[in-house]
Amino acid sequence: MKKRYAFLMIVPGLVILFVCLAMPLLKVIMPTVFAGSYPFHSYIRFFQDEYYLGIFIRTLKIAVITTIICGILGVPTAYFISRCNKKLRGILLAVSIFPLMTNSVIRSFAWINILGSNGIVNTFFMNMGIIKTPLKLLYTDFSITIGSIYLFLPLMIVTVCGVMENIGDDMMEAALSLGANRILAFVKIIFPLSLPGIIVGEILVFTGTLTAYTTPQLLGGNRNLVMATLIYQRAMSLSDWKGAAVISLIMILVTVCVIKAFNTLADKLDKRGENHA
Amino acid sequence: MAYMHLNHIDVCYDKKINILENLNLEVEKGELVSLLGPSGCGKTTTLRVVAGFIEPKAGSFQLENEDITKVPVNKRNFGLVFQSYALFPHLNVFDNVAFGLKIRKLSKDEIAKKVNEMLEICGLEEFKDRFPAQMSGGQRQRVALARALVIEPKLLLLDEPLSNLDAKLRVNMRMEIKRIQKKLKITTLFVTHDQEECFSISDKVAIMNQGVIEQFDTPENIYQRPKTEFVARFIGFENFIPFTKEKELNYKAQNGQLFDSDSTCETSNCIGAIRPEDIQIATKEKSKNVVKGVVGVRTFLGKSYQYETETDLGKFLVNMQADINLKEGDEINLYFPPNKLILVQKSNA
Amino acid sequence: MRKNKLLTIFTIVVFAFLMIPLFIITVTAFGKGTAITFPIKSFSLKWFYNVLTLDSFKTSFLTSLEVALLATFIALLVGVPAAYALARSGIKGRQLIKSIFLSPTIVPGIVVGFALYQFIILTLKIPVFAGLLVGHFLITLPYVIRIVGSSLEQFDFSIEEAAWSLGSGKVKTFFQIVLPNITSGLSAAFMLAFINSFNNIPVSMFLSGPGVSTFPASLMNYIEYNYNPSVSAVSVLLMLCTVIIMVIVDKTLGIASLAK
Repeated sequence: MKKRYAFLMIVPGLVILFVCLAMPLLKVIMPTVFAGSYPFHSYIRFFQDEYYLGIFIRTLKIAVITTIICGILGVPTAYFISRCNKKLRGILLAVSIFPLMTNSVIRSFAWINILGSNGIVNTFFMNMGIIKTPLKLLYTDFSITIGSIYLFLPLMIVTVCGVMENIGDDMMEAALSLGANRILAFVKIIFPLSLPGIIVGEILVFTGTLTAYTTPQLLGGNRNLVMATLIYQRAMSLSDWKGAAVISLIMILVTVCVIKAFNTLADKLDKRGENHA
Repeated sequence: MAYMHLNHIDVCYDKKINILENLNLEVEKGELVSLLGPSGCGKTTTLRVVAGFIEPKAGSFQLENEDITKVPVNKRNFGLVFQSYALFPHLNVFDNVAFGLKIRKLSKDEIAKKVNEMLEICGLEEFKDRFPAQMSGGQRQRVALARALVIEPKLLLLDEPLSNLDAKLRVNMRMEIKRIQKKLKITTLFVTHDQEECFSISDKVAIMNQGVIEQFDTPENIYQRPKTEFVARFIGFENFIPFTKEKELNYKAQNGQLFDSDSTCETSNCIGAIRPEDIQIATKEKSKNVVKGVVGVRTFLGKSYQYETETDLGKFLVNMQADINLKEGDEINLYFPPNKLILVQKSNA
Repeated sequence: MRKNKLLTIFTIVVFAFLMIPLFIITVTAFGKGTAITFPIKSFSLKWFYNVLTLDSFKTSFLTSLEVALLATFIALLVGVPAAYALARSGIKGRQLIKSIFLSPTIVPGIVVGFALYQFIILTLKIPVFAGLLVGHFLITLPYVIRIVGSSLEQFDFSIEEAAWSLGSGKVKTFFQIVLPNITSGLSAAFMLAFINSFNNIPVSMFLSGPGVSTFPASLMNYIEYNYNPSVSAVSVLLMLCTVIIMVIVDKTLGIASLAK
């Protein structure tokens, strides 16, 4: 009896998803697979083109750098927060969540103010007499990377902090009682136990940066395209629907592969004992 | 000089409430001392002061004549067994037990030798490669014990290690702990709220109430001669009569009746305590220490019946052999033998 | 616990990195000149007036509100029963169906926008606002499924069974017993879905059309052609809204619920 009602409650959602997501994707992407002399011809051509390949590599490069730096900055910060008393922890988490709820336009705009030719950095250095003409900091890979780090660091902090909070105090106390100092205890006990959560955070950062549109658009412009801004340009400015579709499928596939790869890694590490004793 | 000394320890929380006040405790080498009391009495706090997780506001902690009050946790070399066991989930049994030895930079061979020896003592050899998630509660408990002992600690500290186990396992495990403790001759502090468990294995017991040690003695002495009302209640005394002292060995109850007791009391006010099974039915000869009463509700305890008896001095619980069959409403004379009527101090509320 | 000084300094630096750019925007919003300067030379509120009178911002703000509210509402309507069915019924393939419901998160936003634009706007010729709704529904649904789903997974269904045994019908029980006890999950889902729909850009960029534009999209267009403290002023106002929402959430649900 329950089964019939269960299906009734699930099916509408599935149907809407099919019509609104699956169908559009299939309708737009399928033709590109078979266009050209053989299946996936357009895709091979994408990677053979120097220009497109360059954009692809740039997107990957920015995503990798952002992921690494968010890890380096985010994990210690999350650890600090997880060890604070409840009140301070709440405040710091709120401060971390605030950027996440702020529009990405604003967060990217912040860096235009800082990196632009009349921006803070340039004005400061020119006033000091260190440089005569403004440095080109904006509309570079560098500005996109900084903007991406700025965008995703709070996400990393919040995700990892959540995991670390769940590691009981007694883990650290046990390690201390056995003679470890705090640093050793972190490296040998806390960090390995947080690894699954850290990986989840890095997946979010990597795939987010890989597919981001707003930040690269505002901080990279039309000279430094990444995959997402390339799609928009192809579709809207150049009416190259087929091209945009090809890039779209590549993006989806790369995202899925990366998620799968990270998840397998996380599983392998988890096998060594997932549940707390 | 005792092996371990806690002197005038004050611990407070948030600068307002004193959790421990002027606490003193002495433990001899090789002793197993228990801290016993209800939740909130301060026994775990005391243990954590010894371990070094809590810094006392005042007082000192000496071990073998050395003041270690300010020594950090990781330098004290004490073995800790947590209530949750705190086994490292990502390490197998061998690595868990070896953790402390690796920090002490022993050679690989030495570590293997010590760990295997300890695993054998604790009956864990076949679980060497297992992970905590794959083991039962009793097994994990033994791993926690092995991990704490293998570092040859100066003190073994156990924080309610058996409370997560079922009843039968608890009895077996406490024997194991006592056996291992005696074999290794290691000085041990054991925190629990279970009186039977505590009395069965301890050399000495400290009964704690609201941050104060009410009595510190061997289990036998506490059992025969509780010092305070709180301790008496804790160990099975159910009946209490407030007394004022008339002269030596004469104590007056509220209704003016005089009682004899073999125990003594220093203050002018004290409380007489007696166990339900020690109250007898008066025979005609004895007239002192006899109270008239009416039998009320009866409960069956197996070996005996327990009768609620109403008297001038209040309600008493009396255990009688099953073959003595009293009925509700029966009039009865209760006799309180002087050697079973223990005088205790009133506890601070 | 004694804290490592190095770690404390490190954390302070990280938080400074996160907060200073937003602080800079706030300061520049009060500047007088048309150029964005920091620090500001004179104090003025004129950019705020400017922003509040700009028609394009006003209409797009309202559009964003409408779309976000409607999309979230529809997502709740579709998602809550689905989450309940998934948690309660024990049908085979629950994980798979849940993944399908969460699949919009794997497709990059820009691709969703592009595909919907092609299919719904150009091919099916559905009006712009409806297209926006569809796109934003895809954004909001995963939040509902994930958050309400996790609330229901931790739910003690024995209270449902108790209600049944006392004679309450299944539907009545759902509305009177189950729903009131997952309000925190529902509210958290609503909040997150609403905020992410309101802030969304990739989907909205593609699906906006003449006259119908979401607020972030119109803001982005504005920035491309106008670099003056108006943008700062808008940013400050938006950040203020965010703070207000966060305070409301904290008083009702606790900030931690947003961190899930």
